[in-house]
Amino acid sequence: MSAATDHSLFAHGSGLRRRRRVNRAVELSSTVAALLAVAVLLIVVGSVLLKGLGALSLHFLTTPTALFGETGGGISNAIIGTAIIVAIAAAIAIPIGLLVAIYTTEFAPPRIAHPVRFVLDVLNGVPTIVTGIFVYGLIVVPQGNQSGYAASVALAIVMLPIVARTAQEVLELVPLTLKEAANALGIAHWRTTVRVTIPTAAGGLLTGALLAVARVAGETAPLLLLCSIFAPGNLTDPSQGLASIPIFIFQASESPSPTAHTEAWAAALILIAFVLLLNVVARVFYARSRQRMEG
Amino acid sequence: MPETRSHYQDELEKLEASALGGLELVNAALERTAEAVEHQDVELAQIVIADDDRIDGRYLEVHQALITLLATQSPVATDLRLISALLHVLKNVERMGDQCVNVCKVIPLSGNEPPADEEMVETILAMARQTRTLIVQAKRAFEERDVEMARDLVRQDDVVDDLNRECFRMALEIGDDADRREWAMTMLLAARAIERIGDNAVDIGEQVAFVVTGLFREFEDASHPVQ
Amino acid sequence: MSKIAEQARQLSSQQVPAGTARPQVPRRDRGNVELAGLNAWYGANHAVKGIDLGFDAGLVTAIIGPSGCGKSTMVRCINRMHEEIAGARAEGHVRLDGIDLYDPAIDVVAVRRHVGMVFQKPNPFPTMSVLDNVTAGLRLTDAGKGEIEDRGREALVEAGLWEEVSGRLKSPGAGLSGGQQQRLCIARALAVEPEVLLMDEPCSALDPVATLRIEELIGELKKRVTIVIVTHNMQQAARVADTTAFMLGGELVEVGPTERLFTNPDNERTEQYVTGKFG
Repeated sequence: MSAATDHSLFAHGSGLRRRRRVNRAVELSSTVAALLAVAVLLIVVGSVLLKGLGALSLHFLTTPTALFGETGGGISNAIIGTAIIVAIAAAIAIPIGLLVAIYTTEFAPPRIAHPVRFVLDVLNGVPTIVTGIFVYGLIVVPQGNQSGYAASVALAIVMLPIVARTAQEVLELVPLTLKEAANALGIAHWRTTVRVTIPTAAGGLLTGALLAVARVAGETAPLLLLCSIFAPGNLTDPSQGLASIPIFIFQASESPSPTAHTEAWAAALILIAFVLLLNVVARVFYARSRQRMEG
Repeated sequence: MPETRSHYQDELEKLEASALGGLELVNAALERTAEAVEHQDVELAQIVIADDDRIDGRYLEVHQALITLLATQSPVATDLRLISALLHVLKNVERMGDQCVNVCKVIPLSGNEPPADEEMVETILAMARQTRTLIVQAKRAFEERDVEMARDLVRQDDVVDDLNRECFRMALEIGDDADRREWAMTMLLAARAIERIGDNAVDIGEQVAFVVTGLFREFEDASHPVQ
Repeated sequence: MSKIAEQARQLSSQQVPAGTARPQVPRRDRGNVELAGLNAWYGANHAVKGIDLGFDAGLVTAIIGPSGCGKSTMVRCINRMHEEIAGARAEGHVRLDGIDLYDPAIDVVAVRRHVGMVFQKPNPFPTMSVLDNVTAGLRLTDAGKGEIEDRGREALVEAGLWEEVSGRLKSPGAGLSGGQQQRLCIARALAVEPEVLLMDEPCSALDPVATLRIEELIGELKKRVTIVIVTHNMQQAARVADTTAFMLGGELVEVGPTERLFTNPDNERTEQYVTGKFG
């Protein structure tokens, strides 16, 4: 038999055709699903962009909100307020979250590590309004007024499990063989953790922190309870109420004025831009960290 | 235990059979050689000489295959000793073949007349028969890895050595007879060649001991008279 | 008989055993290891059963055996890394120059400064430079005194890596090739000047050329440290080791000079393993 006729061995069978059809169907549906997901994001960002661009200007960013529900102001005080609240929350949550993660992955015996992990997961699922009420009873009631601190504490509680769980995942990715190598050199366990494990995981730890910040920057429910009443003159004192972007959006959207609505969209645009930026930066750090651990 | 490396084991077994098969070729050559001596058959002698190419060919073929096995399979322990022993055995086989050729080359020199001394011819034929027994025993000892049988080759070889001394004595007796002297000298060469074949068989026996025990020891040679 | 003939006769009457031992190297007096009654468990699994084995100073000993025979476990008992695994424990005695490393009074961490280890997959610290990697054992323990960097450079020379990295001591350790990384790990282990160096299949992850370089390096290093190398590659054991020990099912089956083990082993199971009939 010549080579030409021998290709009956490679001829298309009916099985091949059916497989191809199934293949194409699955490919198609997954592509559509992916496009849908991306489309949703694009629609959200797109509509915010379209509706808010009109009010966006340098004036908008650098002028404090107009008084007594008037329009023509800006969100500079809201930006500063959000920045302060989130910064304080981060200063509380990130160190504690990292330490908890380091403790559970490096030092705790399994019978402690597992319950802690479980508790963190539960905490992650607590609705933020509940956290807000809790902090209200804890801080606002005794203090007698709403404050930036109360908001920061609530946000810190929301951030903590995110920071801790991400940090845990990243620390566990540090190859065992690195820790073994340090161990075999006679380096004490805590020193290995500080000088080898943490530096190796550093990129991932940073990512976790950034993602937690991004998540919490727009968290509204606690702010409603804890920091929605503020004196317009108070720009930076967290012991009193502070302006914040989510509250601005909420209040502006309740106003009857269409200009206020546009301002609300613009503020939303700022918020989304900030969140997206944080996410991108976090991704970059994560990629570098992965490369380091696998290379 | 499950067999791993079975292809390699098969190859090794085949090569052993091939190398030992060379002994059968030598045995046949010796038989024909003895016949040629008995009947002063020059044509038969020529055939033996030509046939030695087969023995040489066997040597080259198996030798090459063993070297390849060494290079590709990294044999150790018993396998390694076996391959080393087979390389020696091949050399012995090749030498034995050459000794048969030596005998056959000598036959035409003894002329076309009837042998000058029947007794001497008989002795040589007896040597050939005994040496063939040695060859068969050496082959069996190797196949069965029987060290005792291998050691016994020394005793068998002593018979050949004794017969060789007999030939020498007979040649001396003929010595004064000018007509038969030359013939006797050539016959002595033939006897010596057959005696060397016997020694080669004993060497094969020593290789048997090496494979089995890992020790190499001369059973007996010129510097160690048997106790 | 003349004197020469007499000597010749004596020589030829001696047996010539296959696998004569290599000429004796003058032994260091430090770095002798003795395992006595060593047992190790993973939970209920008895992985190492009653090992009595010695490693002489100045020599390389290879441990061979099929997967799961306990060779890595046994070696990790020597620097007490086995007990770091959850649920694992070890009993028995490991004596280094007479001192029992399992004595309760001995600090586990200190043990590891005298018994170094190199692992199967090269594992330089990714966040440290080449020089920092080598000196890690000195900087991060109290073994480091005096000129740490000089000791680091020496270690790189000892590991045969100096020429290749002298120009980039500050570049990341993980940027080297596989073979270079492994030599870096060897330098790192040598820098703390241990008496013993354990190597757990150090060449498994490397290409053949890198492997041969490290084998040559082992031949030079043994003057300085006692080397115990676990390997599943028998040809490597044959090339590199003075003494070879064969383990099976957690037990020591046979130990002896390498040449003897590979030309004429005593034990039938050893014979079957080295000729590849199982494992």
